[in-house]
Amino acid sequence: MSQATMFALKPVLGALQATPLTDALPETVSGCYISDLLSDVLAHARPGVLWVTVQIHRNVVSVAAMKDIAAVLFTCGRKPDATIVAEAEEGIALLSTPLTSYEAAGRLWEAGLR
Amino acid sequence: MGVSTVTARTSVPVWDEQPGRRSVPLAQVLVYELRVRDAMSKPPVTAAPQDSLRSIQHLMKAHKFSGVPIVEGDRLVGLVSIEDIINALDRGHINEPAERHMTRNVVTLRDHYSLLRAVAEFERHGFGRFPVLDAGDRLVGMITRGDITTCLMHHLEKRAEEAIAHEAALVAARVADEKAERVVIRAPVRTGDYDSAGKVSQRMRQVLRERGIDPEVRRRAAVVAYEAETNIIIHSLGGEIVVTIDPDKVVIEANDVGPGIENIELAMQEGWSTAGRLPRELGFGAGMGLPNIKRCSDRLEIQSDSEHGTRLRAEIFLKRAGGAE
Ligand SMILES: Nc1ncnc2c1ncn2[C@@H]1O[C@H](COP(=O)(O)OP(=O)(O)OP(=O)(O)O)[C@@H](O)[C@H]1O
Ligand SMILES: [Mg+2]
Repeated sequence: MSQATMFALKPVLGALQATPLTDALPETVSGCYISDLLSDVLAHARPGVLWVTVQIHRNVVSVAAMKDIAAVLFTCGRKPDATIVAEAEEGIALLSTPLTSYEAAGRLWEAGLR
Repeated sequence: MGVSTVTARTSVPVWDEQPGRRSVPLAQVLVYELRVRDAMSKPPVTAAPQDSLRSIQHLMKAHKFSGVPIVEGDRLVGLVSIEDIINALDRGHINEPAERHMTRNVVTLRDHYSLLRAVAEFERHGFGRFPVLDAGDRLVGMITRGDITTCLMHHLEKRAEEAIAHEAALVAARVADEKAERVVIRAPVRTGDYDSAGKVSQRMRQVLRERGIDPEVRRRAAVVAYEAETNIIIHSLGGEIVVTIDPDKVVIEANDVGPGIENIELAMQEGWSTAGRLPRELGFGAGMGLPNIKRCSDRLEIQSDSEHGTRLRAEIFLKRAGGAE
């Protein structure tokens, strides 16, 4: 299986108006998946992606860990509880943006994450 | 049920000690196995019959030899020993050619003799050195007791290193076996306890990662465990999840006390869900859980009725990262 082209995350944080909630950020992501349905993410998200969602429940972090998702972008200015952020497994970055999922998707697409 | 795994512990002794077979010290085995040609120094340092005893004395001094074979071509014609040199110095014929004073009936060893035989020859004759001839009577080397000792020590050391490496490999294999023993993760699952969802799955992923299981296989197992667990949380009156990790497969069992799935065929269809408002707000209720479980498992059984509740049993066959089973 050929490795997906990697996309540098840090240069687009400005355009996304994203605030990192965790210390470590992955240098790159393999792609993007947008969904608010956990089972849908479990079915379709590929490892290493940036997951864009409005869901902020603890289950989001669990699902991200199980699918080896690299980073989660919470949209509409939503932020999970500090305890959930603290529990996020090492290697999963959490970010928040005031943009809607649609707007965030648009910016990511414009920035070249296709 | 209740089957416990017993990991076979292979233990191969460094030295074979089968009953009815006498165990022989390694040095003794080597003495049989090794040949004169393995221990001799070669090519031999030689002198010609016309060379002076003085020049041979210098040769001995330079090489720290106690005897120099005298050859014509590759034929051995004599031997000048340190005793011959001492006598020559004593009697004043040190400048005369070797052929006048050398020992002519030289006792030789064949290069194919075992070292055991060589040792016996040293004992029998009391000589410090032997010229070594091959099957064609050509002089091919010289051998001393020291050469034999050095050769034996060298091979003993080699065998010891091999034995140590062998032991280390056995220990490593044993450690891998122990790691591969069965791990069972069992946890109660309570209705509506959304906060605990994923704990069992997380522990399972950790074990699979430690065992070097292929990440894709690991993710499939995680999806099955998580979906089964969340179904108990959302749709049942409570139950239990049991994950059994064996070297070749993971078995995920999710059992609850009811109320059972009314129509399993319908429930297996993607998008069909009876999830209420709260689980839907939390991101559940896509009606994709059971289809996900089906797609991610290698074997799946679901039994459900209103009396006994739902029993789900999924198997995922394991393979290590990098392809090989
Ligand atoms: N353990 C269970 N006990 C009773 N009913 C169940 C159980 N598991 C599943 N069901 C029924 O089967 C339906 C489909 O389950 P499935 O896991 O596919 O979807 P879901 O749980 O509704 O949503 P999702 O899993 O996508 O969040 C459920 O809505 C529910 O009616
Ligand atoms: Mg479900």
